[in-house]
Amino acid sequence: MRIPGIREDVVEKLKFMFEPDSVAVVGASRDPEKIGYQCLRNLVEGGYEGRIYPINPNASEIMGLKCFPSVLEVPGEIDLALIVVPAKIAKRAVEDCARKGVKAIAMITAGFSEIGNKEGEDEIVRICRENGIPLLGPNIVGIANSWKKCNASFCQSLPYAGKTAFISQSGALAIALIGWTWLYRVGLSSMASIGNKADVDFSELILYFGERDERTNCIAMYIEGLDAGPEFMEACKRVSPKKPLVALKAGKSERGVAAAASHTGSLAGAPLIYSAAFKQCGVIEVNSLIELFDSALALSLQPPMLGDFPLIITNGGGAGVCATDAAERYGIPISDTPPDLRESLRKYMPEFGSPKNPVDITGMGTADKYEGAIREALAHPGVNGLAVLYCHTAITSPMGVAEAIYRPYSELKPQKPIVAAFIGGSECEEASSWLKERGIPTFPSPERAMRALSALRAYGKIRERFGGAGAIKRA
Amino acid sequence: MGERAERIIRRALSEGRKNLTGLEAKEVCRDYKIPVPKYRLAKSEREAVEFAKKIGFPVVLEVVSADILHKTDIGGIYVNLKSPSEVRAHYRMILENVRKRRPDAKVEGIMVREMAPSGIEVIVGGIRDPQFGQTVMFGLGGIFVEVFKDVTFRVAPVAREEAEEMLREIRGYQILKGYRGMPKADEGALIAIIQRTSDLLMDFPNISQMDLNPIMAYERGAMVVDAKIVL
Repeated sequence: MRIPGIREDVVEKLKFMFEPDSVAVVGASRDPEKIGYQCLRNLVEGGYEGRIYPINPNASEIMGLKCFPSVLEVPGEIDLALIVVPAKIAKRAVEDCARKGVKAIAMITAGFSEIGNKEGEDEIVRICRENGIPLLGPNIVGIANSWKKCNASFCQSLPYAGKTAFISQSGALAIALIGWTWLYRVGLSSMASIGNKADVDFSELILYFGERDERTNCIAMYIEGLDAGPEFMEACKRVSPKKPLVALKAGKSERGVAAAASHTGSLAGAPLIYSAAFKQCGVIEVNSLIELFDSALALSLQPPMLGDFPLIITNGGGAGVCATDAAERYGIPISDTPPDLRESLRKYMPEFGSPKNPVDITGMGTADKYEGAIREALAHPGVNGLAVLYCHTAITSPMGVAEAIYRPYSELKPQKPIVAAFIGGSECEEASSWLKERGIPTFPSPERAMRALSALRAYGKIRERFGGAGAIKRA
Repeated sequence: MGERAERIIRRALSEGRKNLTGLEAKEVCRDYKIPVPKYRLAKSEREAVEFAKKIGFPVVLEVVSADILHKTDIGGIYVNLKSPSEVRAHYRMILENVRKRRPDAKVEGIMVREMAPSGIEVIVGGIRDPQFGQTVMFGLGGIFVEVFKDVTFRVAPVAREEAEEMLREIRGYQILKGYRGMPKADEGALIAIIQRTSDLLMDFPNISQMDLNPIMAYERGAMVVDAKIVL
């Protein structure tokens, strides 16, 4: 059911959803093949420190935890009820939760509006709304909070910990992308699967993560379709000056919202209008899942780029050219190095190097040359953002170059963003993970590094336009 | 502002109509200070000639009927009429065409309107989106809109800064700035049309689609040559 407008009380109560001190798994199962088992195991094995109450009328104990026949029998308070029972008995479970005074419900149960059972869904929403209980879902994979170690989902594990809150309208993707968070070191504070979004809306989640969750400094969204456009825009307008929002709108091939009684009608389409709305409320739009993750990584680790001068430092001409092309494509065109900086960069390259932008310290460029050039660039007021590209060569070790980037960065603590690309094999992967763990977004290609830097520039422009105060906190 | 538009829209709805006539659409535009050519509704050949003289030659004649959406298809519009005799002849031709091709159509009269000098053709449109509500479109007209679909949207209400962005972000912006010595477009006049269209759409949530197409943009000012409003 469409929300009647943003509900501030729901936004506030979402803390019970994402930071619960107690979780009841309604429909906990002893059968390892059941989702009711997986969810309980995830909470236990994820290291959740709150109270866990398995609810199952036919069991007395599961995984060594005392089982209750109903939430009504649970002695203490229940912050979050994770409902995994079949759809036909879901209403009863929700009624019990209401009677118990459960503070939030996340409903994994499927079989509602997604298969045409709108009536059953509306009934459950009505009960929740009458009792002031926020309901996430139904038809979700659950929620996960990495710092609370609360894996109330059937994802295989908690996400890699970090500062991005990820809201996904696709459940299966959310599960799969938890894998990416570990593989690519893209840290999440929370993951919310939004499913049928029968009650809690995108806008309310955005406001919770944007205004009430200090562990989140970036919000990434996978959106298939919204139900409440104006509320979404209002929430984003409120949050975007404070924290970056990045979104992938999927389903771009649909065209023509209306029968074409006008030219305008034949030209309009959801993708164009979503893009317009994103621009107007300060959301950075991306075009693929990898861009979503790359941008979130950069935005959660680095401050926005304030100004239009990015400097590229590379040890390979080709990587520099690719980065220059990508920069142009992503709207952060490269211009010439200021003369004074050109002069000081000369020290860090052989005769045949180039201090022009991209700065080419050549294949002779060793870790100490990188470090010197990076120090100059970080200290120069004309440089608004820095991209360090590294091609694995015989005379350097990726780890040595990673340290050459990290040292000046950690000492100078610049208020300008830095990204890196490590191009090469598994040693580069290792160095890249090491850098990401230390707050420097690092990518396997120059194009992806420049795309990430362009997201930081986009956020800089949003800050300039919507007026945010100060630079974001670093990880 | 808005009262006249409201009367027109209410009347159309009470008659069970989804389409405003060309005349009604122009009046709605005028009510929102969206510049349209001078026009008069003639009920006779004699009136048509009289109005043409007042407006000044050349003129355009077009049939006014709620039943006829596509005037060109049935020979319901003639442009560039330069003399009283041409006006008389074409007045008769339009009525004849309508009688032959759309005998069922109820004809209110024939609109005599000023022939807008050519300029840079642009389009401003509106569409009610199921998610975001009223939205405004801007693009270059003619083949740019037909072939290249060089258009951009904003959710209404459109702030001035956003209207400026719309102009700048179309691929053909260079053309508005005066490409290779061609005259440039009055950006301020286009921004005003975008914002007034936004006002109109916000005031009337029951407008489902509209086109101001073409709009002739000049070095000073701009003029909406044709307007279509669908409820």
